Parts: sequence; structure tokens; C-alpha cells
Amino acid sequence: MAPDQTTAAPVPLLSVRDLHVRFPTERGTVNAVNGVSFDLYEGKTLAIVGESGSGKSVTAKTLMNLLPRTARVSGEVTYDGRDVRALAAEKVKHFFGVQMTMVFQDPMTSLNPVKKVGEQIAETLRYHLGRSRSEALEEAVELLDVVGMPEPARRVSQYPHELSGGLRQRVVIAMALACQPRLLIADEPTTAVDVTVQKHLLDLLDELRRNRGMSMILITHDLGVAHGRADDVAVMYAGRVVETADARTLFFDMRHPYTEALLRSIPRIDDPVHHRLDPIPGRPPELIDPPDECAFAPRCIYAQSDCLGGVPELSGLVGLHRFACLHPTGTERGMAAMSSNRAAGATAAGLPVTGSGGGSG
Amino acid sequence: MAGTGHAQLRDRDDVLLRVKDLVVHFPAGRRRVVHAVSEVTFDVVSGETLGIVGESGCGKSTVARAIIRLVDITAGEVLYEGRDLARLEGEDLRRVRPQVQMIFQDPISSLNPRRRVRDVIAEGLAVWGDDIGSWSRDRIDELMDAVGVEARYGARRPHEFSGGQCQRIGIARALALDPKVLICDEPVSALDVSIQAQILNLLQDMKRRYGLTVLFISHDLSVVKNVSDRIVVMYLGKVCEIGSTEELYSSPAHPYTRALLASIPEPAPTVDVSEGDIGDELPSATAPPSGCRFHTRCPRATDVCREVEPATEQVGDADHFVACHHPVAVEVALGAR
Repeated sequence: MAPDQTTAAPVPLLSVRDLHVRFPTERGTVNAVNGVSFDLYEGKTLAIVGESGSGKSVTAKTLMNLLPRTARVSGEVTYDGRDVRALAAEKVKHFFGVQMTMVFQDPMTSLNPVKKVGEQIAETLRYHLGRSRSEALEEAVELLDVVGMPEPARRVSQYPHELSGGLRQRVVIAMALACQPRLLIADEPTTAVDVTVQKHLLDLLDELRRNRGMSMILITHDLGVAHGRADDVAVMYAGRVVETADARTLFFDMRHPYTEALLRSIPRIDDPVHHRLDPIPGRPPELIDPPDECAFAPRCIYAQSDCLGGVPELSGLVGLHRFACLHPTGTERGMAAMSSNRAAGATAAGLPVTGSGGGSG
Repeated sequence: MAGTGHAQLRDRDDVLLRVKDLVVHFPAGRRRVVHAVSEVTFDVVSGETLGIVGESGCGKSTVARAIIRLVDITAGEVLYEGRDLARLEGEDLRRVRPQVQMIFQDPISSLNPRRRVRDVIAEGLAVWGDDIGSWSRDRIDELMDAVGVEARYGARRPHEFSGGQCQRIGIARALALDPKVLICDEPVSALDVSIQAQILNLLQDMKRRYGLTVLFISHDLSVVKNVSDRIVVMYLGKVCEIGSTEELYSSPAHPYTRALLASIPEPAPTVDVSEGDIGDELPSATAPPSGCRFHTRCPRATDVCREVEPATEQVGDADHFVACHHPVAVEVALGAR
């Protein structure tokens, strides 16, 4: 993101506009994604950060055409100038998994437990690229070598249960790379593994992206992971992008109170021992029949009456620092909102605010 | 990575729990055994929060489960107020159990889905009857209020609550029996980021309010640092390093502790990021490596590490002990001379 808007702007590899995803359920319609837009440029990493229910994984699955039939999707997804959602069935077969691939959170469930890992990688090559069985197996060994698997020639004939979680995830990454994709979507790729393994996997993804000029969408709930590994970050809350910017701006000069509150609430390694944490009060909203107001307002210490009068739009142009807030943190409006809430002892949504309770004012 | 040696034990009157040379083996079939916990030694003084940190398979949860006898102890002692929990049976064990309570990682599956949450919280009291404080509606309401769940929701069942709420209910259930020791096994790992801080603060508040001694198990180094007075770092069933939280984070001595601190997404300033490059093959716990169990991945390993298991030794004069033939802090200190 953040392209130069004045000169001939490069065309993004992936462009998403006003994406909506709804699931009809017995309890009502779940509004999982509510108007998400972003651009991803060649060779860049976009991190989509959010908690469970924020819509980050549904967004990824929508891009990969993996939603159940019951999902109602609207909006545009353009890949390299082509409308992905309008691709003919015949083209779809060799588009997903070739141009655009995905790595999931739990490697054990994305691998077939009764098939040797080499055969699973070879299967991808045979199906999409028409390789012969022996060619494909040879390439599988090379791919395992590329993803840093020790003794790849021996590992191809092992079953997933014989590998550690970190090595299994390497197999999944090898499968995703098999057809030389231009875009890799990694959905919580390191959530199921230990920290020392996490570092290796993230290093590997970084290196592959750089060497192959691949673009990457990294979906994570871990702000630390997003901070170290992404060029741009989009923060999602209740199915919307509430703030998006380059990683540095987002972490050091954020505007949305949710981004700020989230960063404040996590314990950090350089905080003093027994440092009192600043939790976000309340919990994320229901996605069924959401009220027509800022979804974060009930938990927000800046909330004013206008926050309850409608959902704020994301400011500015795609590619710039954008945020959906009427009283952004770090601005005069935000500071005024904070001091009036402190004076009143509560926000417009009724959340008690004490003198010391968070905020930048 | 030793575990041999007891240098880390404190000679104090207020030691509430002392785990000495704890060994837990699980049968793995064909006469093999999983060496889940191997000669682990540490103590907890009254009112302290002891953190146990390590990656999956290091034995941290097994230590916790062994203390409250959810798993059988193969060898060693678990002294609680001077009595060996490992040897207690029948009525004697039953009498101690209310005093050591536990909360678990998955808040929803650790509550019986078919019972009302009020009854879930009250169950221990109902079992113990007047021995502890009789079952009364007021007592349950007070507990629910203390953990921040509205008492009017007492008739609801666990699935009607969010994960964070269920963890609060699990905490109320543990506190109902007025325990002295609360064991928390990854209590916030399954919760959303914005909810974790609420639960960590609640645990601190409950600790103060009820005068608890806490054993806090987690893989998350930042969380453990936030809550703990003293920390044990474990690897493959052994203790690597133990010390006061400040000491351990400001001058980590064990190469494994340093690797952990270097691997987290925003690495600790006291280590170099390259110290996290230790490979990702965890050796098998059915055939753990000889000598120091960390030698197969350790950048500082030498012949002695392959052959001799290091004993825990004090680092300087501080409350800081390390089981390593080549600890880092000592050399840094020597180099500074």
C-alpha cells in the first residue's frame, strides 16, 4: 500500500472493494464482513489483525473462494486486473492453489493423515501442472529443501504424525509454494506452534516472499507478529477495517481508539514486573443485527453522542493512513472527547471513565 | 539441563509448597516411557506467584497436574505444609485437596455444559458441606460478584457465556473452597487479546483479596513476567533456570532462556535476535538426549554437555540459579572485570 498517488500509480496485484459477507443462521443473519476494501501490491505483506469474530479469517476465505454455499457475498475482488469472483469454473480450478494459495493455522488438519507428505505435495504438482508421478516426487523433495526441512529425501516418505508441528507447517508451506504462487495468504500460520518454531516459520515466509517476489496476506491476532513482519497493517473489528496504515504509523501514530486500546492491553516483555494492565472493558459485539453505531463505541473511552448516531466511514483514500473514527486518538477532537468524558465520569455510551483510565490525554 | 541439585530451594519458614526431585513417567507402549518430568525441584513461599514457563512438551502442565495428583507421581516429593502429597491416600488426600485448586486453559470445556453455572461453582461446597463453609446462595452470589459475573445469570449454562466469562466462572469455582494455593494452567491462552488483560488483572485482585499463593503456568514470556515474583524455565522435563523475575529477564543465563527471549516477535532487549536460532526439532521425550537435554539445539554445547548433566548452581549472589555448563551471564560478568 501507500503508493505514490501523483505519478502513474502501479496497479495493485490484489484489490478488494466493499466486500460484504453474510451468513444466514437460525438466530438471524451474521454480518461477518461489512464493507472491507484494501489494495495489495506486488512483493508486499499486508497483515490483517483482529480478534475472533472480527472477520479476518472470513475475509481470507472469501478471497480463496472457500466459503460455504450459504454465504452471501457482495463486493469486488480484482486480481491482476481480473474479476476473481466472476472466473469461469474451468479457470477457477487452476487459479486457486496456483496463483493464489493459502496456509492454514493447524497443519495437522490441513494435511491428510494417511498419506505420505511427499505424495501430498506431489498431488498438487500433478493436478495443477500435469507432472508425472516421478517428476512430482522429485520436485517435492526440492520443495521440502526450499522450506528448510532437514533430510528432505527421507521426509517425503513420512506421514504427518511422524513430524513435529513446526515441520508439518513447513510441509504445508511447501505445498502452497508448489505452483509458484504470486500471492500467499497465511491464516494464523504460527498460532499452533511454539515461539522458537514461530520465529523460524516467520523468517522462512519472509525469505520466500523476498526471494520469489511473492505478495503475502498475513492474518493474525498477534500484534507483535504483525509489527515485525508486515509492510502494511489493517486492524479489523466487528467485520470492518477500523484502521489501516503502514506498520510504523499504525503502531506508533495510531488514530483509532481500538488500535490504541489493544496495544495498551497486552503485556510486553519490557514492562516492569506486576505492571497493572489496561484492559479493554466489555467484550466484542454480536454480529447479528448490530446497532447502527460505531461497533467499538460501547467499549471506547472517547465515545461521544455522535458515535452512537451511525457507523463512521473509513477516512481518506485507499493506500493512505485511514481510520474510521469521529474522535481519533492523538488529535484535538480526540483530546476534547476524552476530557469531556472524564469531566462527566462516563462516556456517551455509559462506560464509566475515571481520571487515570487510559487514553492519551 | 539438569534438575539434579537443590541449590534453588530456599531455607525459609514460609515455604508452602516444595517439589523435590519430581519424576513423572508415562507408559508409551512397547516398554518405552515418556520422561515427562525428570527430577524437577522448586519451592513456593506463601503469598508468592511462581511462574513456570516453557514450550509444549517441557512438562510444565504435568508438574501442575502431578501436584494435585491428577497424574500419578513416579518418584519424588511434593511437600505441602510439610506433608508429602505424593504419598497421601484416601481421606488424608481428600482433606488436603480443597486447599489446592486449579483453573484450566480451555474455560468452556472445563465447565460441565449441562449444569447451571451457579451449581458448577457450588459443587465443591456441596461436596464438602459444613467442613468448609456451608453452601449458601449468598456465598455463591458473592463469589460471582467477586469475579465479575452478574449473580442474576446464575441459572444460565456455560454455553450462554463467552470464553472470558467462562474463565471467570472457573475462577469462582476454584475460589469457592477457600484454597491457599491456586494453580493456573495457561489461563489466558485461549482468550482473545482484549480479554486476556481483564483476566490477568482479575487474578491479581483475587490473589490479594483471598491471600492466595499462585502457581502460574504459561508459554507466554510477557504474561509470565507480568504476573510472577519468581520464575522456573523448563525444557524437556527439566529445570534450566530459576530465579526472581527481575533477575531472570534482566540477565538470562541459560542459552535456552535466551533463545526463548530472542524468539518472541518483539524480542527482549537483553538478548541478541540471533540467539533464537536453535532449530525446531524437539528431541523425543521417550529417549531424551544424554547429559544436558538441551545440547542437541544449544549453540554453546561442548563435549561435557553431551556427557554430564549440569547441576543447578547459583549465579552471582542473586536469587538466580542455572543448570548449564556454559551459562551466559557468568562469562559476561567475567569479561567485564
